[in-house]
Amino acid sequence: MTDLEELGDMDEKLNLHETDAPPEETKTGFLPIQTNWFDRLFISVVIWVALSLIWFRFIEPFGPSIWISNAIALALAVLIITKG
Amino acid sequence: MHSNKLGWLLLAPTLLVLFFFGVLPFIYVVYVSFHQWNPFAVNPDMVFNWAENYRRVVFDTQFLASLGVTAAFVFFAVISELILGYLLAQAFMKDFPGKAIFRTIHTLPLIMAPIIVGSIWKLMTTPSIGIIPNLLDSWFGYDLNIGQSAIAAFITTVVMDIWHWTPLVTLTLIAALVSLPPDPFEQAQIDGANKRQIFWHITLPMIRPAILATVFIRLMDALRTVDEVLMLTGGGPGSATRYVGVHIFKEVFPRTNYGYGSAISVIVLYLTIVVCWLLYVGLIAPRNKKG
Repeated sequence: MTDLEELGDMDEKLNLHETDAPPEETKTGFLPIQTNWFDRLFISVVIWVALSLIWFRFIEPFGPSIWISNAIALALAVLIITKG
Repeated sequence: MHSNKLGWLLLAPTLLVLFFFGVLPFIYVVYVSFHQWNPFAVNPDMVFNWAENYRRVVFDTQFLASLGVTAAFVFFAVISELILGYLLAQAFMKDFPGKAIFRTIHTLPLIMAPIIVGSIWKLMTTPSIGIIPNLLDSWFGYDLNIGQSAIAAFITTVVMDIWHWTPLVTLTLIAALVSLPPDPFEQAQIDGANKRQIFWHITLPMIRPAILATVFIRLMDALRTVDEVLMLTGGGPGSATRYVGVHIFKEVFPRTNYGYGSAISVIVLYLTIVVCWLLYVGLIAPRNKKG
């Protein structure tokens, strides 16, 4: 086997071009960009943290508990992950 | 399936290193951020205090001010580096006498440790002995004193960052420009396009991925600038150059306030990720056809 043939064989074994890799499951929901499940989980976590910080700063001083913000964030996360 | 196993096997050492030196410390910082922990306080134990540190962060005026100056620093530094880096990359695409020497000298700041860059700039900007205040005084009659003037200190840190990191942008953009195929440019010239049209409609769209990668790298780097600024200005005068990295350093090391410092670190990491993600969504993420 020549060097070039060996390289070609290695390329096939390593599957460098991912020709038989499973297609990524992207979804078309209400979000403006194409997302997979991890993207939607990431967006949910980003919103949860932002909502919590805004709640601490502007709403909690007037009384409402942070758990309300967590419940809203959880509901949003379910909505984004399932329909986003 | 066989190739997948081999792929994972080859990736395993890197993933293990990443897990032990990246993921585990991150989890530990998040864990510490939910605790009151000052090992040199009356009670040196870690005391779980829910999200009390985060509650404190959003009311910390010094932290919020540091976020503002960091945003300004990042904006001016990254935009300037990008423009200057592109112009230098275009200059290096042409032949001129002494090009090789100039390119080597231009790349030298990249190999310096940030703390050394800070020391050099400290020496160059110290009034009465530094070359920059002397030249500014003799040429323009301007008295540069970064220990007194907040705006001068801020601009000096931005210029220092530009001096340090523009070569990285230049090198990345040279690589992108060299790899461009000549055909579209020749066709545009045959069709009578001028230089500006070629830049906006051919060069810029074709090197956009390289520009974005460079902006991401520089953005993340600039947001965690600590050592050079700490060396040059120490975060002062006042809090004019107290960027978030410097603020975290001062909170964690001299005050040994590990719990609160960890909470700030987690928030800065969160903001860095969100800014980069928003850039990605705004510029390159595939659009939803229905939306």
